[in-house]
Amino acid sequence: MQRSRSPIFLTLALCFTADVAHADTAEEQAHFFRKHVEPILVGRCLECHGSDRIGEFDLRTQTAAIEEGGESGTCIEPGSPDESLLYEYVSNEQMPPEDPLSADEIATLKRWIADGAFFPSEPLDPFQVTTSRRAGLDWWSLQPLSSAPPPSPKGLPETWSQNPIDRFVYAKLSEKELQQSSPADPRTLIRRITYDITGLPPTPKEVASFLSTCDAETDSPNQVGDQAYEALVNRLLASPRYGEHWGRHWLDVVRFGESRGFERNEIVNNVWPFRDYVIRSLNQDKPFDQMAREHLAGDIVGKGNPEVEIGVAFIVCGPYDDVGNQDVLQIAQIRANTIDEMIRATGETFLGLTIGCARCHDHKFDPVKQQDYYRLYSTFAGVFHGNRVVATEDQRRELAKKKRPLDQTLQKASDQKKKLEATILALGEQSADKIESTWRRPPVDRKLTVENFAPVEARFLRLVSEGIEKNPHATAGYHIDEFEVWTAGESPRNIALASAGSTAEGKSRVPNDFSDAYSASLTIDGQFGARWLAAAPTLTITLPKTEQISRVVFSSDRPGAAGVSEVAGFVCEYRIEISADGENWTKVADSHDRLPLNENHRRRRLAEAVITADQQQQLASLNAKISRTKSELAKLQQLPSWSVGTYRQDNGPFHIFLGGNPQRKGELVTPASLSTLSKTVRPFRLAQDAPESKRRHALANWIVDLDNPLTPRVLANRLWHYHFGTGIVDTPSDFGFMGGRPTHPELLDWLARQIHTDLWRVKPLHKIILMSQTYRQSSDFHDHSASVDQQARFLWRFPPRRLSAEEIRDSMLQVAGKLNFEIGGPGFRLYHYWQDNVATYTPREKVGPETYRRSVYHQNARAAPVDLMAEYDTPDCAFSSPRRTVTTTPLQALTLMNHSFTIDMAETLAKSVKQDDLDATVRQVYLRVFSRPCDEQELASASLFIKEYGLNAFCRALFNANEFVYID
Amino acid sequence: MQTHRPTSNSQLLNHVVSRRGFLGNVSSGMAGIGLAHLLSNELGAQQTDWREGCGMTHHQPKAKRVLQIFCPGAASHIDLWEHKPALEKYDGKPLPGEEGVRSFQGKNGPLMMSPWPFKPAGQSGKMISTMLPYMAKHADDIAFIHSMTSKTNTHGPGCVFMNTGEDIEGFPSAGSWMSYALGTANENLPAYVAIPDIRGEPPNGKATWSNGYLPAQHQAIVLSNQQSIRNLQVPAGISAREEIATREFLQTLNHKHRLANPGNSELQARIAAYELAARMQLSAPEVSNLAAESESSHRFYGTDDSNKLKAAYARNCLLARRLLERGVRYVSLYCASRASGVDGLLNWDAHKTLKPDYERHCPVFDQPTAALLTDLKQRGMLEDTLVLWTTEFGRMPTRQEGTTGRDHNPDGFTCWMMGAGIRSGVSYGSTDEFGRRAASNPTTVWDFYATVLHLLGFDHERLTYYHNGLDRRLTSVHGNRIQEILA
Repeated sequence: MQRSRSPIFLTLALCFTADVAHADTAEEQAHFFRKHVEPILVGRCLECHGSDRIGEFDLRTQTAAIEEGGESGTCIEPGSPDESLLYEYVSNEQMPPEDPLSADEIATLKRWIADGAFFPSEPLDPFQVTTSRRAGLDWWSLQPLSSAPPPSPKGLPETWSQNPIDRFVYAKLSEKELQQSSPADPRTLIRRITYDITGLPPTPKEVASFLSTCDAETDSPNQVGDQAYEALVNRLLASPRYGEHWGRHWLDVVRFGESRGFERNEIVNNVWPFRDYVIRSLNQDKPFDQMAREHLAGDIVGKGNPEVEIGVAFIVCGPYDDVGNQDVLQIAQIRANTIDEMIRATGETFLGLTIGCARCHDHKFDPVKQQDYYRLYSTFAGVFHGNRVVATEDQRRELAKKKRPLDQTLQKASDQKKKLEATILALGEQSADKIESTWRRPPVDRKLTVENFAPVEARFLRLVSEGIEKNPHATAGYHIDEFEVWTAGESPRNIALASAGSTAEGKSRVPNDFSDAYSASLTIDGQFGARWLAAAPTLTITLPKTEQISRVVFSSDRPGAAGVSEVAGFVCEYRIEISADGENWTKVADSHDRLPLNENHRRRRLAEAVITADQQQQLASLNAKISRTKSELAKLQQLPSWSVGTYRQDNGPFHIFLGGNPQRKGELVTPASLSTLSKTVRPFRLAQDAPESKRRHALANWIVDLDNPLTPRVLANRLWHYHFGTGIVDTPSDFGFMGGRPTHPELLDWLARQIHTDLWRVKPLHKIILMSQTYRQSSDFHDHSASVDQQARFLWRFPPRRLSAEEIRDSMLQVAGKLNFEIGGPGFRLYHYWQDNVATYTPREKVGPETYRRSVYHQNARAAPVDLMAEYDTPDCAFSSPRRTVTTTPLQALTLMNHSFTIDMAETLAKSVKQDDLDATVRQVYLRVFSRPCDEQELASASLFIKEYGLNAFCRALFNANEFVYID
Repeated sequence: MQTHRPTSNSQLLNHVVSRRGFLGNVSSGMAGIGLAHLLSNELGAQQTDWREGCGMTHHQPKAKRVLQIFCPGAASHIDLWEHKPALEKYDGKPLPGEEGVRSFQGKNGPLMMSPWPFKPAGQSGKMISTMLPYMAKHADDIAFIHSMTSKTNTHGPGCVFMNTGEDIEGFPSAGSWMSYALGTANENLPAYVAIPDIRGEPPNGKATWSNGYLPAQHQAIVLSNQQSIRNLQVPAGISAREEIATREFLQTLNHKHRLANPGNSELQARIAAYELAARMQLSAPEVSNLAAESESSHRFYGTDDSNKLKAAYARNCLLARRLLERGVRYVSLYCASRASGVDGLLNWDAHKTLKPDYERHCPVFDQPTAALLTDLKQRGMLEDTLVLWTTEFGRMPTRQEGTTGRDHNPDGFTCWMMGAGIRSGVSYGSTDEFGRRAASNPTTVWDFYATVLHLLGFDHERLTYYHNGLDRRLTSVHGNRIQEILA
């Protein structure tokens, strides 16, 4: 940007310098510096000359600026501008490079040096003023809310003078020489507002009723009656569908997701109460300041009240890395990443500030210091992801009362069992010598276990587990890498090979995405790399024909590569059986005369050898009692445990992490407010050992302080964004330098103040917006207006928009008469989920009535796009999504044309409207799908098409029509 | 800086449409060509600034398309590509200075030599593991980067990092960036295809080929020999005749609606998207039809191998070539899948038993990959196809305590490039004598992608997209291109 050097400016500059020529006293000099010099130094110089990089000129402090200077010595000679390098450089336009100072700025600096180059004792703050490259503390969004009254522009029509919003909008339209549009007709308006407030189309009955009340009121067709419309607005805002639709918006903003993300991405089944809380709170029109407090400190403000306490799940409903890591550096880094996620979510959601950008260094674009970031870090330092019981005191007491006797019974039975087992074992130990003398063979060996037996004819052979390596009482969960069956006689052959025609059967662990991964066939493939992982005790080999056999050989780690690792956990106690018919089995070998593999197995053997029938019975009855009591305990109504996070007191000390690296600790910080708003909102600062909960509560209070201008501005803008498709600021979570600038700054502040006036309730503001003429305009296109303002940011018309993925899906369900309006509770899934170490999500091909609920109740998992939703831009909940992209792609067409959901809904709609009279049927479909009657031409072409291809095909086409997915 | 213009009018048109705001804030994606007749005179407007999505680049590109082979699970650098004689010499001795160090899964034992010898390969005599006899034949064409480093030692974040330049989810993968930067080269096929392994998705699954915050048309289309494009098929029970008539009826409705609603070009874009979808339904099955390949070609890749995993991967290699040939700009080909939590069976994550694990994985990978590279070379496609071989990090030179496997090592590993614009037969950077840490020329994922973008004709610092407060890049705020591996 080239600064003006016109003669007029020069004259002004001269007058200006004359005015300040006599800055003699220290006080006057200080005033002159603050008012005129500092903005230049901070705004134009500190970007480069504001650090202690070696050899570079640092302009921040008196010592550095005046006394030390730069590489070439001092740069400022107080009293002598002409001997000052600084003046030379700015006056010959060498500095600032590419964008020289204006003449009056140069004159100011000259005067300042001539007067003695006063410099204050405290360092200059580079964040004081906004420059061409960054925002300072004087940035528009950080200033107090303006109280500018609604304007009265010239030519303001009577209808546009009632609602303050209209006066602001009209003034801007006039300024841009744009013309507002005529009012929308009743049919368009009811479709628009019904979608806007509920996310659903109006039913034909609702349309008819609105039209007839409008007619009665206005006595003319196609005109909206004010009273009829107000009644409509009131009805919609009171509808429970409002909370569902606007709750979905809020869930986007707070990056609500129901899986943990990262590598394991396990589904979270106990955070849906937060979704219900959001919907409930919106429907109740809970004041937003209260909601914010509940989001950040619900455990404090809602203690003992689960419906409120759940709000605090906000902090922990983002993604986090729970894979577990033993590397200490990585553990610290992962923890820092986890807290970073909480900081970003909080800053963007409530303040529209991208605080996360100050993690490694001061924010490059906004006045957020690295200290500010770590103040929030210390605020959240005690928050951890995880489940916690959220219950009332009564619930807790009641459960404890029911549990106590059962716990006692269980304890008693367990003690008795332990005692009995000890008695039996002692007995066994007494005759250990005798018993052990029967164990003559070496223990089983993972690398090679061999059983020889007298030659016997067999067609079938099986290994039956009686105990595995790590647990004598478990019979499944062992591995076999190869199992061989050798023929008897001179030249023995292994006939248990798939290549020889054998088969192996045995239940195995089955991952859904690779079902053969651990299958029993791996035991007879002639290779040792992969293993059968037994999910049941038995492995059965079917030989190609009956043969004489005399030996089996098996192992779990033939190459001996696994060491003692559990990847090759082996079978320990077993028997080998053969059969001619696969039904009658004969034992040919077992492990009972081998040495036990370990002490646990030894004890089991001893006990089994000496136990009496009476003891056996006692043990059985104790076991029965224990399992009965456990199942009774399990049947008790457990207290709800929700994913709301856990909190631990962390007394620091808390440091800045230099460069964002937890290993490089910088200066100390404590939980405190952001310096960003220090000029506007009363700051707070807590001690490093302040109670954990108090930190979050203090932050919440600061966020909703009536002097904090960001919170109500950001909130008002979000409402505007969802009503009109684009916010007054088009980056709803970024009110900083990189974000958009407000198209209607005064209107934004008026709306923000209105939120304060309504004591943080938002339904009244919705109503003001909805009642405005601005909102009630038609979306008719005008070439001229479009050439000035293509996107109608100044609202010369109501901007048409495409429905969201949720709206499209919910509308299809509603139109087909299948939408289940059940509110709340665990969500439904449009994907298959399975977990095998990590989680996998695959979209379902076929979805049934169990999924026919509103889309807000879909259990949205991270990194798990589902075609029906993601194709139409439902965002991945990895981040906050303050606005959705709207894309148009061929994949959308494929999904909406071919997914079984479309086919099912088309068929259902067809069934529900079908009548003998084809014309009446067509009319009914039009009313339901497009909320309007069809004309005669449409009727004719539809009838022709249906006669040839059927009603289903017609309904399928309509669900894909532009008219269905766009609203005006 | 010089800007290079696209060659195809439809690409330019596509772009003009969205830039001029005819689509408002709607991205037209592959839909723009349907607007040709409406906007022909828009082409008159000469543009000199670079604009995304229309085939324009910042400078003359060397590569027109990318094949990224990804071996998830952290394929061991010191057992495949980087020979470490010191491991043989000090096998069983402690790792100096880091005795018993704790890494991802815990404590480490002593140094462990690779279970297989290395042999000199090609003219250059590059030492390659004898487990990769087929790949060794390509040694002279490859530029190895032996000094890669990662931010994380965890598979999921590591795979996401290696694909998106960020270790948390939600960011666009390199393929999505390429789709965003250039648009599509073949309007009937997607710009970016991900081919998962038959064993399943890689760690963090779909996040590794995500479009992140870029508009949805830049997502990878998931397609493999075992899995066709979702919703591509006309539903059962709908005849071809009915399908055509339904589409025609729909377009009649849409045209009428559009005439009644002038000035909303989204409506036209959506009409075009339906036309394009119909064309995709024809071209996608053609590209996936491996039966069209010769028998010798199948044998060469190994699609008929008795090892089912190898045969499946070989078919995906063949599919990759067909996609690249037909103008898909970015193909991500996966060899192996997620962590099983049981053993090193599903991917290259050999914690417990390196030898048997890799004796399973190497044969799956070796012949088919080498065949694909040979095939690309013989067809002259390596001239303008950039091949990347990547994995999320390396493995420790030590054995994991009590096992014969290796734990995760983010401090040093190997990736390589070959083909368009790449210097053949070089080895850039190295780890220390044991393979523990990048020692000479440590290289980041951002350096890697700065180089990739450079070859594609882009200055990585200027290819940006605004999201939540920043003009974001594939290379975050880092990255220097690796001059030494450029031809």
